[in-house]
Amino acid sequence: MHRVIAICAGVALGLGPQRAVAQESGPSVQIHGFVSQGYVKTTKNNYLGPSARRQGNFELSEVGINFTTQLTDRLRAGVQLFAHDLGPLGNYAPQVDWYYLDYRFFDWLGLRVGRTKLPWGLYNEANDVDAGRVPILLPQSIYPVTSREILFAQTGAELYGDVRIGAAGSLEYRAYGGTIYVNTADASPQLRGFEVPYDFGGRLMWSPPVQGLRLGASLQAARFDLDYEPTADEAAAYQAAGLLPAGYAGNVSIALPVQLWVASVEYQAQDLLLAAELAREYANYKTTLLAPEVRTTIEGFYVMGSYQVRPWFTPGLYYSVLLPNIEQPIRKRSTYQHDVAMTLRYDLTPNWLVKLEGHYMHGTAALTSALNGNQPLDDLSKNWGVFLLKTTGYF
Amino acid sequence: MRAFDVPVHLRCSRRAGLALLGLGCGSVLTAIAPAASAGETRDFLLIVNPASSLRGAPRELVADAFLKKRTRWPDGEAIRPVDLRSDNGVRWRFSELVLKRSVGAVRSYWQQRIFSGRDVPPPEVDSDAGVIAFVAKFPGAVGYVSASAKLAGVAELAIR
Repeated sequence: MHRVIAICAGVALGLGPQRAVAQESGPSVQIHGFVSQGYVKTTKNNYLGPSARRQGNFELSEVGINFTTQLTDRLRAGVQLFAHDLGPLGNYAPQVDWYYLDYRFFDWLGLRVGRTKLPWGLYNEANDVDAGRVPILLPQSIYPVTSREILFAQTGAELYGDVRIGAAGSLEYRAYGGTIYVNTADASPQLRGFEVPYDFGGRLMWSPPVQGLRLGASLQAARFDLDYEPTADEAAAYQAAGLLPAGYAGNVSIALPVQLWVASVEYQAQDLLLAAELAREYANYKTTLLAPEVRTTIEGFYVMGSYQVRPWFTPGLYYSVLLPNIEQPIRKRSTYQHDVAMTLRYDLTPNWLVKLEGHYMHGTAALTSALNGNQPLDDLSKNWGVFLLKTTGYF
Repeated sequence: MRAFDVPVHLRCSRRAGLALLGLGCGSVLTAIAPAASAGETRDFLLIVNPASSLRGAPRELVADAFLKKRTRWPDGEAIRPVDLRSDNGVRWRFSELVLKRSVGAVRSYWQQRIFSGRDVPPPEVDSDAGVIAFVAKFPGAVGYVSASAKLAGVAELAIR
């Protein structure tokens, strides 16, 4: 951790303002990077790590560096290396975050192949980009940071473009298909296999002739196939309940087709940013156990605003609600989570920022039992708070 | 001016909001109002490479060019925008009048695009002379300089 802080300070203080030099003809490489160190302290419940202990939790850090080159007027290539630590996740294991070849035939048609960020909602692609937003945590009802491995990037191809539609403004479209590579290093040791046989979707973003307004719709469909080996206790429980199939050989298979949509609106005028989004995710669990299929519908929405009061100071607010299964009655505390957040962002230099953030949480839907002594979510505290401090250097 | 400080003329324009609330700086409104139309402002000049036949362009086209939403001029030439540094007052004026976003908002836009692998921002240079040299050198280049800059080897582009 201290090493990360040292690098952070080095980036911010040593490199100073990044200044791209006027390019000479021929390909040149742009190099950009960032490093972040955060701190999380919660009241009552552990969140994102062992955060409720007295000293809080410093396991909130990221580091990345990318290289981009314009090979011709139309062809670009890029790659980003990334490592992070988020409680039990990440552990600084380096990974290739994204890489691509991008050929832009026209402004209205481009093709990208490689591993690319998934374009759903307003901010999914920017979920790692602390410098590109005000909150430390984006609204977790739609952008859960703990699902980074699954939600952030796909490997395949993408078509994109910007289309002028006369007096109606302009459209930006993205359409993609491929698979999602999931690093299962942090997963349960009982997990025996994880595959995503398909993943496709798209996003349409309309900029009507109202300066600063964007309206968007995103769709995504994917299927997650996994095999796991139940513990002896779990297997015994399944057997007692009559759930084990005739050919049970120690593994249980799960197929999980998921469909997701997001409706988005954003308004940006000079220093003011307002945004709101509503998302639903339909999941249908099919297992080899002799159990009925389980359908869940997750719903999330938020409203958010920020205003840059001074070039160095931007406060922001949001209200976010997560309902993990609207097919079920919303009564118990584990069936909802309301989140009121306030952030203060300080840009100390053009390459170094510090953020303070506080959350008031009502409900436990976004918590995990594993981080809370394996207690059921309904036994955890209903009203709790989160305080975060984060600093990021970038160039 | 300290790095990242607000240019004096923009501090005043920020107060325009307070003036609307009757909290002072009333005369600012009349001073700022004409500048709301980019075509009328003389705070900066837009310049293009002289090989370009373009001498006028809609504000939206120029904004899209600097945000790299458009990559080609109408004649098919690749657009090569160049920016002044983010602490330059001319850039603040250009950003507010043409891009309709503060420099901070534009920086956030580029941070999102840089680290999500979408694109990289235009190169930045220190001075009017740097912008003029860049624009004069590269076909398709476009930049902006202070209204008092001496133009040589470039052509002016009017915002329609």
